[in-house]
Parts: sequence; C-alpha cells; structure tokens
Amino acid sequence: MKLNVDFPTYMYVNGHTLRFAFQEEVSQNNLALVRSFTMFLQTHYAPQIREIVPSYHTVTVFLQDTTLPVQQMPQYWVEWQGSQHNEKVQSITIPVCYDEEFALDMERIMTYTKLSYEAIIERHSKPVYDVFLMGFLPGFPYLGVLDERLHMPRLEVPRKHVVAGTVGIGGEQTGIYPIDSPGGWNIIGRTPIALFHPKRTPHFLIKPNQQVKLERITKKEYENLLRKEL
Amino acid sequence: MARLLRVKKVGVFGSLQDQGRFGYRNYGIPTSGPMDATSYQLGNEILQNDTNAVALEIFIGGFCFEALTTQSYVMTGAPAICLLNGEPIAMWVTFTLYAGDELTIKTVQQGSIVYLHTIGGFEAPLTLGSRSAYEKGNIGLPIMRGMVLTSQICRKIEPRRGIWGKALPNFSCKKVRIYPGVHYELFTTTSREALLTTSYQYTGGNRMGYYFSGEMLTLASPREILSESTQFGTIQVPTSGQPIILMADAQTVGGYPIIATVHEADLAIVAQLKTYESLQFEWVKE
Repeated sequence: MKLNVDFPTYMYVNGHTLRFAFQEEVSQNNLALVRSFTMFLQTHYAPQIREIVPSYHTVTVFLQDTTLPVQQMPQYWVEWQGSQHNEKVQSITIPVCYDEEFALDMERIMTYTKLSYEAIIERHSKPVYDVFLMGFLPGFPYLGVLDERLHMPRLEVPRKHVVAGTVGIGGEQTGIYPIDSPGGWNIIGRTPIALFHPKRTPHFLIKPNQQVKLERITKKEYENLLRKEL
Repeated sequence: MARLLRVKKVGVFGSLQDQGRFGYRNYGIPTSGPMDATSYQLGNEILQNDTNAVALEIFIGGFCFEALTTQSYVMTGAPAICLLNGEPIAMWVTFTLYAGDELTIKTVQQGSIVYLHTIGGFEAPLTLGSRSAYEKGNIGLPIMRGMVLTSQICRKIEPRRGIWGKALPNFSCKKVRIYPGVHYELFTTTSREALLTTSYQYTGGNRMGYYFSGEMLTLASPREILSESTQFGTIQVPTSGQPIILMADAQTVGGYPIIATVHEADLAIVAQLKTYESLQFEWVKE
C-alpha cells in the first residue's frame, strides 16, 4: 500500500486539544495512516500527551500541557513514514448467533438488501473486520469494511433499549453493543460474550488496533457460552 | 474506614466524583469527573485535601443525611439552602457534624450543582484508574437511600476554614468563550451569526449533555459527518438544529456536526446553568 506522505491538517479544538485530519473518507488507506500517525505521536511526544483518540480520518490529541511542537512535526513524519514499523495486528474471534430470536431487524434487512437470511449471515460473518474506531459506548467497536450489499440506513426511530451483546448494522459499518443502551442500528444477531467488564480485567475484550472475526454459532452454542460467561 | 453519613433522602441525582478518568478515551470511556471543576477544586483546597479527593456531586437538592460520627465537611457549588438539624448553615465554610446530626441539602437558589466534600474525600471503588461514577457505563453507583458514605480519615477541623466574598466563584455572567468547531464553516451564514449574536436557552440535561433552544443552526448543505472525537464542551448540532453541549460524561466520539467548543475555563458556567436560563457565546480572544 502506498502511503500518502502529506502531513495532516491540524487545528486546536480548545486550549488543550489538537486535532489532526487526513482526507475525510472511510478507507483502508486512512486506517493505515491514522494508525501510523497515532504510533508516531506516541513514540515521539508521549510525555506531552495525555490521551489520543483516533477515528476514521482524524487523530485527536489531548495534551498534558497546551502545546506540541507542530512546526517540526512534518519533517519527523516524513522520516517516520520512510522507516518500517511493524505493528502486529492482533486478531480476535467473536461468536455471534444470528437466530431469529436475536436478529430483530432481519426482515427489514432482507427487504432492503433483497438477500436471503442465509446470504446475509454468510456476507456478514465472512470478512475479517478492522476496528476503525471505538467509542459511543465503553468498548463499542465500529467494524469495517462491511460487505457493500449489507449497507443499511439506521432506523428512523432508534430503539429505547438495545441489549448488551447485540450485533447491529449502521450505514456502512457493523458493531456490537457492549452494554445496554438506546440505539438505532439494524439488529442482526447477538454475542454471548461480554465486551466490557467494569469490575474485572481485562476490561475490554476488543482493542482499538485489532482485527475481528465474527463466527456464526447456533442457539444451543450461544446458550452454552452464555452459561460459561455468567 | 469511617462510616460518615447515612443517606436518608435522595433528590434528583447524586454521584461521587474525583478529577476524572483518563487514559481510556480511545476505548469509549468518558472522562467523567466534576461538572463544575472550579467549585470541586476549591472544596478540596478549603479542606486541604488531595486535588483528586472524591466529593459528592448533587443536582438541584433534595438530599438528606444522618451523621454517624464526628467529621468536618464543606459544601461548595451553587448557592443552596442547606440545613443542619433544621437550621440554615453556610456553604464555602467548614462545619462539623456529630453522630445523630441531620444535614439537608434542600434546594439550589441559583445554579444547579452542589458539592459536599469531606476531609480526605469519600471512599469509592477505583475503576479504570478513577473513583468517578459513570452511571451509563455501570461504573460506580448512583447515590441511593440507605447507602452509607465512608472515608479513610475522620477528623474535626478547628478553627473553621473557608472562602468568602470576592474569592467565591461567580457564575452569574452567562457568557462563555468558544473556539470555532471543525464544522463551523459548513453552517449557513445566518446560523454562524445567530450563534454569536443571539442567546440560547438551556432546556434541560444531565451529566452527559445539556440541551439548548434558540435560533436554528443549519448546515449550508446537508451532509453526513464521519464520527470523530468529542469531549466535555463540544457543541454539536443534531438535525433538529438545536445545539447540545456535551458535559462531563460526554460520549467520546460523535457523528453530529461540531459548530464550536466551549473554553475549558468556562465549562463551570455552563454546568451551573439553571433550567430555562439563557447563554451567550463569544469567540475566545487569543
């Protein structure tokens, strides 16, 4: 993959927050750039940084103090891109049950996509997804890239209550609700595995730099796994 | 461990907060911490507490506590009617409760948030590096009737300490400084003008966000916004055209256009708005 060596545009969001932005698009190229730039910042400027939030095309830096030497950055960024950084991307498999009991919006998805129940599951569970972004809820992964045929507009009226473990499709992404929450994504299945544990470690099952594989399981397997989780 | 206070009555909402939770924003964990950091910090200073000591944050009032032991406290935040065994007591000055005393935080007179601080801070479980409650993420517990608040230290402060007069924070100026948001230029000229020349009325909210009502803010041409980092102070505009200011429990990412961000030092003014009060925005002067 050819990386764009241009330095991202930047602006101060407030006195302690710097926002760097690449081209506004959801793409594998952006994912690579955002990850590389995040690692670049962590390597060169760790003492000045409190937190970093990467997204599809931005890297937002929460500063300890109020400045980063932005003027000197482009040069270091070029050098950084010229050298090899092998970041190991870990992979995790999440079991998902697509049974009718959990796939509350399957009819809507079938009507919209003109695909069969089987074909939808097949296309949804096939790819190895990248975690493009985490947020909205603690441990909520925005997974991509979703099969084009499965792109679905969000519900017009969001549900007041979506159960933890719910797997949904929102636009061109898929994701998993780690905790109970209101939500407007199309519900396609449920995982028995808890993604967020406030009270025990590790707190998060999925990490920002991971790849995620969804493995189709039967309702029986779902129930067995759920018993183990409790 | 000292058992300090038994909660006899709960009002709108109360939670224990330290300075906040940092380091997990990229996992979707908001910072939480005090809504009005100014009052929170001053409370800890008055008691000579650690800057990260846990305080009880109370919305509006309606709380009543029974003291279980001798301990000193201070109350800060919005001016409120507070009673010790039925008699009014002052905020911003330390006071001591003895076993059997009844402390009532009845209701705010201005503003909306009151802090009750104790020497050494209240005890709360440490989760992801912080003792701040984050209700939506099942971190920490909301304050409930019958609950007993505890601390590590139990002591009486003599002589009394406090702050008075000009040293008190003043939240009466309802004007806050803003930085232009990343999507500011995408709004219509009328909207951009309205943001700075008209006022916006606070219609309600909670620790996650405050909702406002006023002149419509609209994008020049409707478009999808890619989700990106948001924080305490982000002013986002959903399709309704009415702005929302994200507060201490702000979600870490959002997909609504961001028209501006409130200056860090003015967040307490926003937090202390009372329902139906109006707010004005002005640019930060560099």
